[in-house]
This record gives sequence, C-alpha cells and structure tokens, in this order.
Amino acid sequence: MSAATDMTPAIAIIPTQKPARDESARLGFRLTLPAQILVLFIAVFPILMQLYISLTDWSPLSGTDWWNAWELWNSFANYTDLVADNRFWSAMWRTAVVMLVCVPAEFLLGLALATLFADEFPGKRLLYSILLMPMMVVPAVAGYMFFMLFQSGGPVNDILSSLTGTRVAIAWLSDPTLALVAVMIADIWQWTPLMFLILLAGLVGVPEDQIKAATLLGANPWQRFTTIVLPKMKTIIIIALAIRVIENFKIFDTLYIMTGGGPGVATETISVYIYKVTTQDLIWGYVAAIALAILIVLSIVAVWAMKRMAAARVAA
Amino acid sequence: MSAIHLQNLVKRFGDFTALKTMDLAIADGEFMALLGPSGCGKSTTMNMIAGMEDPSEGKILFGDRDMAGVPMGRRGVGFVFQNYAIFTHMTVRQNLSYGLRMRGAPRAEIDRRTGAIAELLQLTPMLDRKADRLSVNILQRVAIGRSAIMEPAIFLLDEPLSNVDAAFRAVMRTELKHLQRQFRQTMVYVTHDQLEAMTMADRIAVMDHGVLQQVGTPLDVYNNPANVFVARFIGAPGMNLLMGRPAESDRGLVVDLGPLGVTPPLPDELAAALRARSGDVLYGFRPEQVSIAAEGRGLALPVNFVERIGARTIVHLGQGAGAVKAVFDNDVRVAIGETLVVSPVAASVRVFDAASGVAIGGTG
Repeated sequence: MSAATDMTPAIAIIPTQKPARDESARLGFRLTLPAQILVLFIAVFPILMQLYISLTDWSPLSGTDWWNAWELWNSFANYTDLVADNRFWSAMWRTAVVMLVCVPAEFLLGLALATLFADEFPGKRLLYSILLMPMMVVPAVAGYMFFMLFQSGGPVNDILSSLTGTRVAIAWLSDPTLALVAVMIADIWQWTPLMFLILLAGLVGVPEDQIKAATLLGANPWQRFTTIVLPKMKTIIIIALAIRVIENFKIFDTLYIMTGGGPGVATETISVYIYKVTTQDLIWGYVAAIALAILIVLSIVAVWAMKRMAAARVAA
Repeated sequence: MSAIHLQNLVKRFGDFTALKTMDLAIADGEFMALLGPSGCGKSTTMNMIAGMEDPSEGKILFGDRDMAGVPMGRRGVGFVFQNYAIFTHMTVRQNLSYGLRMRGAPRAEIDRRTGAIAELLQLTPMLDRKADRLSVNILQRVAIGRSAIMEPAIFLLDEPLSNVDAAFRAVMRTELKHLQRQFRQTMVYVTHDQLEAMTMADRIAVMDHGVLQQVGTPLDVYNNPANVFVARFIGAPGMNLLMGRPAESDRGLVVDLGPLGVTPPLPDELAAALRARSGDVLYGFRPEQVSIAAEGRGLALPVNFVERIGARTIVHLGQGAGAVKAVFDNDVRVAIGETLVVSPVAASVRVFDAASGVAIGGTG
C-alpha cells in the first residue's frame, strides 16, 4: 500500500476518468447494443455452449441434439480424464517446445532483418517484396512445399549432399526428432516475415532525434539499440510476441500436411490432437473440454500481453 | 573550452548547394547566433559542426584540431535539439546520467555529477520523475543538463525556443542566457528569431540562401547592416529602403527619390563616399529613427495604415516602391489619409548600392 501511495504524484498527472454520467452511459449502452448482441453470439455463446457440452458425453452420434446433451451429463469426468490423458500432455509439451523454439527464432530473425531494413541499401525494395512472400503463401501450400523439400530424395538432402560431398539421404519426415525440426523450420520460414513487418513498423517509429542525441552523448550502436531502440519498441514487441505465441500454439495446417502429426505422435501438437479426437474418435464432449483448457491457457497469454502493453505505454 | 573555425565550408545535397563557402571564427566562450530565414543553411552549418553531416568542402577546426572524420560521439559537443529529444522512457536522472553511463563511468562519479548538475539546474526535486510529462522549461533544462554533464567544450542549440509559446519565450531566453554564463562554454545558437539572437548572442552571423551575409555584435548588425538583406531582415519592422539617385544641392549631397522628392542632406562622410562613385542607390533608414518634420524639410507621404502595438505605433506611409514605415510613441496623433512629413535622423541614414545591395561608405 505504501508503494502505491508513493506513486500518487506521478499518477495524479494522468487525467483520471470521471465516473460517467448515468445518462450518457445509458445512451452509449443503447447505441452499442447491436454490436454487443453480435459479440454475444460470436464469442460468448459458443464458449458457453462449449462449456455445457464439455460436461457431458455428447457426440454427434449420440442421437440427441446438442441442447439435450444434459441427458448425457457426466459432471467433470471429461476434465478428470484430461488430467490423466498422457497423449494430451505430451501434445501440450510438444506444442510448448515448438513455440519456445519458433517464436524466439522468428523474433530474433525478424528483429535482425528489421534493423537491416531500417537503413537504405541497394536492392532494398526488391528484397523487401521477396522477404514478405512466405507470409502470403497459403499455409497448406507451404506445408506441401516443405513436404516435398524434406523428402529423402528431395532438394534439402541434395543441397546437403553437394555441401558435404557425400550422399546424404536423411529421412527427415519419418524420423521423430527430425520431423519436428522440419516442421519448425517451415513455421519459421513462413512467419518470420510477419515478425519482421511488425518490428520494422516499430523500428521506424523510434524518434530519430533521440537516437542522434544518444549518439552525441557517446553511446555506441549497441548501447543505442539496447537503451533507446528496444525500450521504445517495447509495446510493439509485446504485440508481435503475443500474436506469434497465440498463432504458434494453434499450429496446424503446414504441420498436418507435412507429417500428419507423425511419425506416430512425434509431431502431434495440441491442434492436431484435437483434430484427431474430433474427426476420428468423435468424442465431442471431451474435445470441448480440451478446447476450453487451451482457451484458458491462451487467455492467460493474452491478458499478460495486454497488461505488459498497458505498463509499457505508461512507461513510454 | 574551444574556439571553432569554419574554413571555406561548403555543403551540397545533390545539385542543391545548402551552404556556399562559409568562413567563420567563433571565439572560445563566445555565444554566437546563426540567424536567418528557413533554408538559409544555418542548421546545415550546425549539423556539420556536430558531425551529423560531413562537409562537401572545407574544414572545421575546434581549436587547432581538424574535425574531419571525427564521429559525432567523440567531438565533445553538447547538442540541444529543437524539440529537446529527451529520452521519454527514462527518468530525469537517467536522462542526465545517460552520457556518463554509456561511457562506463564509475557509479560514484555518475551519482556525484548527476547530483551536481541537477542542483545547478534546480532539477533535484524531479530527478525521479518520468521525463514524458515535464513542462517545456524543465525539458529545456534536462536537455541542457544532459549535455552539460559531459562537460562539452562546445554547446550547439538548434532553435530550442521555437516550440515554446511567445509569452514563455522571454522567460526561457533569460534562463538560457543565465545558463550560458554559468557554463561559459562556446555556444552556437541557431535561430530564425532575431529577438533571440539580439538578446542572447555576443555576436550574430546573419545568413541567407547558404551565404554568410554579416557577422557582428547585435548592435553592429542592427546599426550598420552590411547589405540590403541584413538591413531588411534585422529590426522589426526592417529598415526602410528607397531607390534614388545622388544629387548635389545647395545644402550638400542629397538623394533624389524621384516622385517622393529629395532627402535631407547626407552626413559628410557618407556624401564623400557617394561622390566617389556613380549609379543608383538605396537610401535606408530605420523606422525607429524617424521624426516628424516641418513642411519642406523631409519626405511628404500619405498615411496608409496605423498599427498601434501598445508601447509604440507603427505608421505605414506611401505605397509600393515608396512605402516607408515609421515607429513613433504610442500617443502619436495620425489619421489615415493625412499627409505626414517625416525626416530620418541624419546619423542613422545608410546608403546601399542599388545593383549589388552592398552598403556604401564607412560604417558607423
């Protein structure tokens, strides 16, 4: 509490929101009512439906409509199953590994490229267009491209062969570890451009005179980067990371076409697992429970990002 | 402490020459204002001194040291930006100590010097405030303090008051001049506001279109403009300039202004200089150096417009090439349409060559 009291002078300067007058609040409510109903139907309603189904054994083959799923009520059995489901936990773990490799790699590559592109150099425009192309490729097509590239007789092995001078015939997609590596390479290839684009926008927005001022005060390029550029980019970095963490968590199309989650379950991420349970096992009550668990995880990420962003905005 | 010598400095941007052969010597500890309208090359000159831009030709010396190839971080130059360029994501303390921290100074030294500079600039109470919500005068002090803590030999200020409202500018000018006296550094101050230059600078370098027009003390450039540009630019309103031809009269040499009549006789020194040459001249006098004369002893002009600005009254006389402004006390009684006979104070009259615009005769 004492810390909060110390902060009051700084906070007092920020115009505080006055309690809205009842009348204007009511008018605002009426004006936004259609939008609120829309949001209710596209966001709130499905979640409630999902929650409802997740507490039952309902599936499309149950012979009842979903709103009658209470007939198959099983309390929290789906959730207790989930806690004990090894395949679920290993899919979660795999998803986390992919995310922890891909997102930092995309971030660092994107940041390096953005730094490069913040300056002028010959051929910049052309290179810029080329660099953005992976992002525009339909993920399923990208998946097929990488599926072909990583065949044992494919270009990746050919290139490795000519580089090493010996014939390389790695069975990328049938080796449990290498298949995961290949999938991650495809993701990094496709999504580094997005990271690059967002970070470049942030980099261009860093006030140039502050960088000049830092230079005149004797800061070297690395010091300028860490003390001026990065702090100024904090908000945009959080946005970029949050977008990629959330998207990467849901990694599916490219991966599914490349490996189908295999060999075995070696590349089965959470989305692939859900897909399989949904289409093959058809136990939708359980799927709803998994999906809700993931929603909670992603919500935590989103809330964290928003809090950090708010903090960064106050700081910047 | 350091003197600055600019030798034959030229700056070109592609086909455009921003600065044409500039020679300027700024003494150690001097407050030099670079004054001129926008696009005159003053900021370019400053950026070259700071090392943000490289000269196309010529040399910049700090003392005896040639600055060619010395990067801006190593020049020992303090720079105050037009918008101050305060690091808004840091506290005042972090701003002040930035240079020392980047240089890796010992922590104790950083604390000591930051404390000292904050004390000097009366920033101590707000050391731990975030720098993004400070008022302009505090921002100015932080900007100066942040540079001053590095003890630069030279201080460069790029129109630091241009974002400040008029009423506050006077306060800031006083404060800035006071700070300069405290630091005693060589200061180069870029501005388009002659009032700032006149009030603060030891000497003023007037520039236009990339050409240095005149260097002198504020009073010198006001009293003895080297050419027509300086005469018009300095002073508010600028000097009156009337086209005419020298002519002998029984009272001495006068200037025949054509339809406006004949001027009062010129002072001897000026008359002598004018007799030694030929051709049309521009007859110049300050609006402030005009008195209302008796009939036949000055220029008879119709009053066109009267501007009462409080302490003084600016009377606009005549039209077109014969337009003259005169500044009187606020209680002067004039009415639009009446004819006023005005006479310039003889000692304040300046004459310029009509073709080249250069001042004729000895100055003073």
